[in-house]
Amino acid sequence: MHYAGVVALFMCFVGLGQAAELPLLTHSLTPSAGQRPAPVLRLQNLDDEIVDIHDLKGKVVVVNFWATWCPPCRREMGSLERLHQATKDKNVEVLAVNVGENFDTVFSFLGTVEPSPNFQMLFDEDALSMGTWSVKGLPTTYVVGPDGRIAYEAVGGREFDHPEIVKKVIELADD
Amino acid sequence: MKNITVVTLLVLASFCCHADVAQSSRTDALTGAETWEIQVDGVHFSLTQLLPDQLRAFYVNRGFTLEQIELYAASCVYMTVLRNDRAPGVIRTVSSRWPISVNNRPHELIPVEQWVERFSAAGVKKSAVIAFRWAQFPPEQEYRPGGDWNQGMLSVGLPAGSRFDIIATWDIAGNEYRAKLTEVQCAK
Repeated sequence: MHYAGVVALFMCFVGLGQAAELPLLTHSLTPSAGQRPAPVLRLQNLDDEIVDIHDLKGKVVVVNFWATWCPPCRREMGSLERLHQATKDKNVEVLAVNVGENFDTVFSFLGTVEPSPNFQMLFDEDALSMGTWSVKGLPTTYVVGPDGRIAYEAVGGREFDHPEIVKKVIELADD
Repeated sequence: MKNITVVTLLVLASFCCHADVAQSSRTDALTGAETWEIQVDGVHFSLTQLLPDQLRAFYVNRGFTLEQIELYAASCVYMTVLRNDRAPGVIRTVSSRWPISVNNRPHELIPVEQWVERFSAAGVKKSAVIAFRWAQFPPEQEYRPGGDWNQGMLSVGLPAGSRFDIIATWDIAGNEYRAKLTEVQCAK
């Protein structure tokens, strides 16, 4: 098969992930068992600055692990930005940790997301944080409380702008 | 009499909404890929064929060469979805141990880690191996009720056109639950 044909088929594959009968994006955030302290997360962002989750103690931090090739990750990204817009003035930060990809790949994907993400985009090219955070599949999202402990978890794609999720995140920030 | 009819209908409706649906299948009109799915005890389980050309395209775009991914692309791969809609608790599953049978004979999945070791030994780019690892259906996972789910690739390791039965198993507080899909076919 020619390379161009392979690229064209990739577009079909992405299209397949956007076909009519997609798995549901759900809207639950479930309390984290044990409320363990948030593990280390210290990574570069799009501006080559280091972002350290421990510097964000006192805020609610939504940590989303994702990749551009992961269909539910792509589908939930717009709603993550809408959550960011709804909560950014309420002591809430959103950190999206890209797993295993480089700046160019992520940057070109972000141009296709509507609304365009304005939250922090971090890079974990070696996927080491997946082990540190005990992530077993993509996407996975954690909501860290102002006390630095994981309050909620969500395995799989979500509609992050769903009122139930927005309410839980804001209430956690108000605690 | 009218009241009895209404009550009967309400009872039937309540059974309808909580009953588990039997295995069903459908074919995607665009790609021809088939899906098999079932809902058991509040858990949704489905397998959708991924065609070898779709897999070649996906992994070449992640950094594999066609030669490096060929064995996997031809190994009968499914987009697998497991979702805990309303099971009576957190479900724990080890997909690498899901029983598979071909003509009533047991067949074992190739573990994800074995694929990863094979690709690393073959000199596949690190970023491509990372994408492969995380594109697979999780070998182990926990799903909370209310909508935790994963979508990932599962290689069955059978020739094109093979038919098999697969049982997704999970555990809730020490009790095992099962969802069986029968006569699933590998893409031709």
